[in-house]
Amino acid sequence: MIRVNNLTKIFYDKKRGKIKAVHDISFHCKKGQIFGFLGLNGAGKTTTLRILATILKPTSGEVLVNGYQVVKEAHKVRQSIGFLSGETGLYDRFTPRETIMFFGRINGLAEQEIQKRMSQIFQTLDMNSFQEVRVDKLSTGMKQKLSIARAIIHNPPVLIFDEPTVGLDVITAKVVIDYIKEFRNNGKCIIFSTHQMHEAEKLCDEIAIIHHGEFLASGTLPDLKRNFQGENLEEIFFKLVSTKVEDSI
Amino acid sequence: MMNWKNIRLLYGKEIQGAFRDRRALISMIVIPLVFYPLLFLGIGYFTMLGQDKSEALPSLVTITGAEKVPQLAEILRKEEKIELVLPPENPEEALIKGVIHLLISIPEDFNPDYYSDNRINPEIIVQYDSTAPRSQLAKKRVTALLDSYRQEIIRGRLNQLGLDLDFIQPLPEQWIDLAAEEKKVGSLLGMILPYILIILIFIGAMHSAIDITAGEKERGTLATLLVSQLSRLEIVMGKYFTVMTISATSMILGLIGLSIAFLTPAYTLGELSLIKAPFSLTLFFLFFLVLAPLVGLASALLILIGIFARNSREASSYITPIYMVAIFLGMISLSQGLELADPLFFIPILNNSFTFKELLMGTVDGTHILFTLISNIVIALLALLAATHLFNKENVLFRA
Repeated sequence: MIRVNNLTKIFYDKKRGKIKAVHDISFHCKKGQIFGFLGLNGAGKTTTLRILATILKPTSGEVLVNGYQVVKEAHKVRQSIGFLSGETGLYDRFTPRETIMFFGRINGLAEQEIQKRMSQIFQTLDMNSFQEVRVDKLSTGMKQKLSIARAIIHNPPVLIFDEPTVGLDVITAKVVIDYIKEFRNNGKCIIFSTHQMHEAEKLCDEIAIIHHGEFLASGTLPDLKRNFQGENLEEIFFKLVSTKVEDSI
Repeated sequence: MMNWKNIRLLYGKEIQGAFRDRRALISMIVIPLVFYPLLFLGIGYFTMLGQDKSEALPSLVTITGAEKVPQLAEILRKEEKIELVLPPENPEEALIKGVIHLLISIPEDFNPDYYSDNRINPEIIVQYDSTAPRSQLAKKRVTALLDSYRQEIIRGRLNQLGLDLDFIQPLPEQWIDLAAEEKKVGSLLGMILPYILIILIFIGAMHSAIDITAGEKERGTLATLLVSQLSRLEIVMGKYFTVMTISATSMILGLIGLSIAFLTPAYTLGELSLIKAPFSLTLFFLFFLVLAPLVGLASALLILIGIFARNSREASSYITPIYMVAIFLGMISLSQGLELADPLFFIPILNNSFTFKELLMGTVDGTHILFTLISNIVIALLALLAATHLFNKENVLFRA
């Protein structure tokens, strides 16, 4: 479903010159799998996910989503994905119901289908109580639920979630995590980024640890534990990141 | 790659959003329909009030040496709106202070009945204050009276010579203005209307245009749209039609508001007695042909700037100079008598205001209308293409 080969992204900054945001990373994620990106802020997680979502163009490398190339077949890619990130905001002056109707329509869904999927999603995410309340009156958790609903209304095969639990209380975070698990069980391909170790540990089938735009390690949790001799993900993460820091010193 | 259904969906959403935005409603509806008419009503009303008030009051006039011109004094005394007052201690100071409004000084050796070959009467000095409205009015009144006094003297002298007044008027003449009534009306309207329309078209749409472009960047909703299945061109077009609708609404409401203001007594009684021009369907169609491209052009420019700018604030500061240029080009149409050479009708805004002015004055010039259409449409298209192109440039989208 997602195949990334030797992806590199370089930004040009007037003051700082060339900035390598992502350097030569490769990975793939299959149907019914959750692939987790674990890294500190500024590690390159969001840049990678933005490239997958066609908002940014890769400097080099090959990126295929659902068999489509992100640059040449951007429109086909956008049909295949549901993208959620801190920057995908919601319209303050609309209600959740109106928001979902709008995104359902522009994603080419028939009215009936939108209604059906909307009531399912609202039910699962417990959104019925605030479906007619304007977005600017909603709490962070409510907004995040709506963002998820917005991303999945057209039932895309690939989901790209950039830190979907950030800023949520534990109960809402659990609802979101459980929902992501359900997506996996329904055969979706999910790319998920976080900087919370326990979340990645619980959820991801494969994990990539990214630091300064490079993959320090990737594999299943048992693989990582075995290869890097760590009890848990947190230990492995700190080991890898601090080695990298020492190397650079 | 453009699907009209998608454009319509986005357009519908944006319009709905604008109608829920109080600030958008204020600039689109309240300002053109309430604020501008009230402003013009206020100006008209106070002008009328000022005129009426000073017209009703008498002018206080002082003559020094009045005994030399008893006939003039008599004429002045008879005039209802003139009150002759005794010379104050310092007449000039009194005039400056507004105690009196006009000062006539008759020289010592002045003799109205005297004339001969070798002596000329010294000048009568009339002093007034051009900055004081009442003094100006006094000047107007006294000038008319002095004229009739002069005529009296001339008539008397000619009589002594056995001649008639016609003797010294060898070229009797009458000047007749053949300009059609609607043209006179049109030239007045033509001066101010294009200028006001330009303001309405820009101001009405400015807030919404920024809100749905740079504002969406700020709030992150643009990224949500960009990862949806709408193409970049569909997004630009959906937003463009939204801004055009808002701009046109503001303009039409503005015209309605101003018509109401101009039809009130404050204007119909004053010198701006307007709206006598015969409005026909053809004329309305021609108005549309000239104004619609301006709405299209303004909207395209606003969208382009909004997409280029990092945030609302930056967008506002980019729009300000463009708005000033638009106002400047609009102001050129305020100068009466200026006629543009044909190639100048390719300059946007200038061409709209001049062609509009021509239409109001009853002139229909096909070339000018065509040039206006072409130049506006071409520039608007270029702006829209540039806007679509900007949407594909990641450094423009993520410059924050």
